[in-house]
Amino acid sequence: MADAKVKKECDPADAAVIENRIKELCIQFPQGITDQVIQNDMPHLEPTQRAMVINKLLSVGQLDLLRNSSGLLYRMKDAQSASKMKGSDNQEKLVYQIIEDAGNKGIWTRDMRFKSNLPLTEVNKILKNLESKKLIKAVKSVAASKKKVYMLYNVQPDRSVTGGAWYSDQDFESEFVEVLNQQCFKFLQSKAEVARDSKQSPMIQRNSSFATSHEVWKYICELGISKVDLSMEDIETILNTLIYDGKVEMTIIAAKEGTVGSVDGQMKLFRGVNPIIQPTGLVKTPCGLCPVFDECHEGGEISPSRCIYMTEWLNF
Amino acid sequence: MTAQEARLCGLLLREHFGEVVEKIGTHLLRSGAQNLRTIVNESGTPIDLVKKSLCVLMKHGACRFSIGRKGPGSPVEYQASCERILGILRYPRYIYTAKTLYSDTGELIIEELLQRGHMTMSSIVKMVADRLTHNMEEGRSIEYNEVVSTFSKLVETHFLQRCPPVSEVVPPVSTAPTVPGAPAAPVSTGPPTPESFSDCYLVPSVSLAGRGKRRRSGEDVVLDQGTTKKAKTDLQTHGDEGIYWQVNFERFHLHFRDQTIISAVASKLDQAWESLGTSRFDSDYETSSEIVRTMLRMSEVTTTPSASCTQALSANEVFRSLPANYSISRPILDQYLTLLVDDPMEFVGKTGDSGGGMYVVNLHKALTNLARATLESVVQEKFGSRSARIFRLLLRKRHLEQKQVEDFAMIPAKEAKDMLYTLMSENLVLLQELPKTPDHAPSRTFYLYTVNQLATARMLLQHCYKAVANLIDRRLFQTKESKRLLEKSQRIEAIMASLQASGAEPEQLTEVEEMISAPEKQQLESLRHHINKLDSAENQVDETIFLLKSYVASTARITR
Ligand code: SF4
Repeated sequence: MADAKVKKECDPADAAVIENRIKELCIQFPQGITDQVIQNDMPHLEPTQRAMVINKLLSVGQLDLLRNSSGLLYRMKDAQSASKMKGSDNQEKLVYQIIEDAGNKGIWTRDMRFKSNLPLTEVNKILKNLESKKLIKAVKSVAASKKKVYMLYNVQPDRSVTGGAWYSDQDFESEFVEVLNQQCFKFLQSKAEVARDSKQSPMIQRNSSFATSHEVWKYICELGISKVDLSMEDIETILNTLIYDGKVEMTIIAAKEGTVGSVDGQMKLFRGVNPIIQPTGLVKTPCGLCPVFDECHEGGEISPSRCIYMTEWLNF
Repeated sequence: MTAQEARLCGLLLREHFGEVVEKIGTHLLRSGAQNLRTIVNESGTPIDLVKKSLCVLMKHGACRFSIGRKGPGSPVEYQASCERILGILRYPRYIYTAKTLYSDTGELIIEELLQRGHMTMSSIVKMVADRLTHNMEEGRSIEYNEVVSTFSKLVETHFLQRCPPVSEVVPPVSTAPTVPGAPAAPVSTGPPTPESFSDCYLVPSVSLAGRGKRRRSGEDVVLDQGTTKKAKTDLQTHGDEGIYWQVNFERFHLHFRDQTIISAVASKLDQAWESLGTSRFDSDYETSSEIVRTMLRMSEVTTTPSASCTQALSANEVFRSLPANYSISRPILDQYLTLLVDDPMEFVGKTGDSGGGMYVVNLHKALTNLARATLESVVQEKFGSRSARIFRLLLRKRHLEQKQVEDFAMIPAKEAKDMLYTLMSENLVLLQELPKTPDHAPSRTFYLYTVNQLATARMLLQHCYKAVANLIDRRLFQTKESKRLLEKSQRIEAIMASLQASGAEPEQLTEVEEMISAPEKQQLESLRHHINKLDSAENQVDETIFLLKSYVASTARITR
């Protein structure tokens, strides 16, 4: 046994053959191979020899060691990251691996600590290191302002992290949303105006005042007010705020498959509408808008007789 | 009755009937039904004043009496009606409506009746004819008959009705107190409704001929002198003695309700966009609302006041009943009806296909939607359009977590939180806790924001009462502040009038006129402006009150 071991160790050519074979197996099973697979493929291979080759592959970063329910799993590392990782130590590789697995959703330090079993200070050191090498990046999540998540440098962060088109640097672009809100309304309004002026029959007038979400989307895109690419869903989100503003109504109609702007055989139609009432009587009085309404009593500190809001309103 | 309602009732009573009636009225409102003796004792008011106050209240329907609760033989008890006292706020609107429907004559009939509570037809006619004649040019006068015909029309359309007979003797209050077991109202099952009497809307035949008489200035007005010479011979007998009339507030309210619905339809479906700026008078300018108006008019007789929608009408019937100047073709009418039915506000509903389609006006839904719009408008004006967005969102989606509110309304987390908390502190938005585990641990609890439309409407109704009371308070205060000045100007006006009558020199007149200095004049002018503004604001708030109240009442009927 000892004899053989020495012999094998002294035979680098043999080791290279085994190495290549293992790599081939890994390519064949991209999701990873177990010891068992290697054993089946090369029944004559000594366990120690196998361990040695695998250790070598792991140490140069060509192979990944993973754990799953059935035990250890070996997987090929893509050449690029392998080369990037040159000169990194094992802990660094481990952290890198965890971050890579997190994909475009990213992962935050706390979770990394649990997964890697490394102390927080260590993790932080490694992260800094990796960041400086431009292997990973930190992205601020919109979900929680203090929470930073890490992901590979070249990965496009998920919408749930960035918040989509409405966020820049995790800040919600309130003004951008309001501008779009106004522009969409303007579009629907002018559409309704044209419909009214057409003097067609009432039914045609109504129908031509509708715009599909696709039409609104096209209009907004052509306006070029947005630096980022907006999807049709983005525009529908904006149109929904107009519904909650009470300025727009939506109807869903069935559409032929393949019609522009239809989703699942349905099409959303939007139109600008008039309110059913003017501001109600109560809010035309100062009391209706008064910030100290509840504190106001005749004879009290704040009273109708001496009320300055009343005075202002009366002299207006 | 809430504290706000009580305060407003008190102010209204004081304004219209003076402080004694205010005292008795508010006392009764607070105490509930009481007999005469207790009222005298508890209010500390002399008995004759109490009697007079009760009489005034009763004449205006603001108070009624019934046999004591302790059974036959116990003293009669009096009860004030908050509802009717608050109705005083609406007097200007009743009068204005009568004017738009039945011109000056209608206006004066309603005005006189509101001022006096109830009257016989013959006395109303004489009084109105005299007043109309007085306002005409010299030498012209109005026939009693003309007033009679307007009066009959008001009865025909149920805006006026007979007072329910109380007992043989009128006025009721003179017999009522302390007469044991008075044969008055039917036994304690509440007062009879006017409509339970068959001839409630029956106009008696009266022998009234003649014209209104002009009042001479300076001459003391004696009511009966208003009759012509011929009538003077049979002074008191016109054949309608004992038949008293009152304003049918319910009918007015139905009219207000219908008008509100019609104008909502007009503003939603008919009006040109405001930004267009031009008023257009095309044939289709207000067709939708005209259709709804026609439907409501047609169902006035067939639909009970408390129904949640009108009786179904066929498109054919509606087509025949449209006003002649709306010359739209039948297919176009169908289109309008379809659009009305399609509209998310659901003012009009379709119930069947016979007769070219059967349609109803959804009264309850319309009121619900109008009330919702009212709440939204309050939030919008008071807290801004983005808070209103959140409020509408919650009205539509019912229950939402904070994150969902942010996402749907597209409002940044911090602002959304601020707005939600502000709305919550004003009780416009509620927060519901939905624990996942029985220990109510915050981390395992859903926090859902929600809006309760009915409760919010009730709350805003109370706000309205307070707001009106504040406006009245302020008006009384302003008037009191300038009391001296007002009295002075009144004195001077009186002097001027008498000087003019006696044919004084123009110089003399200017001299008197100059007794009021320029700054004083200015002050009077701005006072007048302020009073007008406060007055019209009171009426505007009353419109909100009317709408919210109708909605609350209608909802109560539906859920009962
Ligand atoms: S009177 Fe003045 S202080 Fe009182 S509620 Fe009205 S506006 Fe507010």
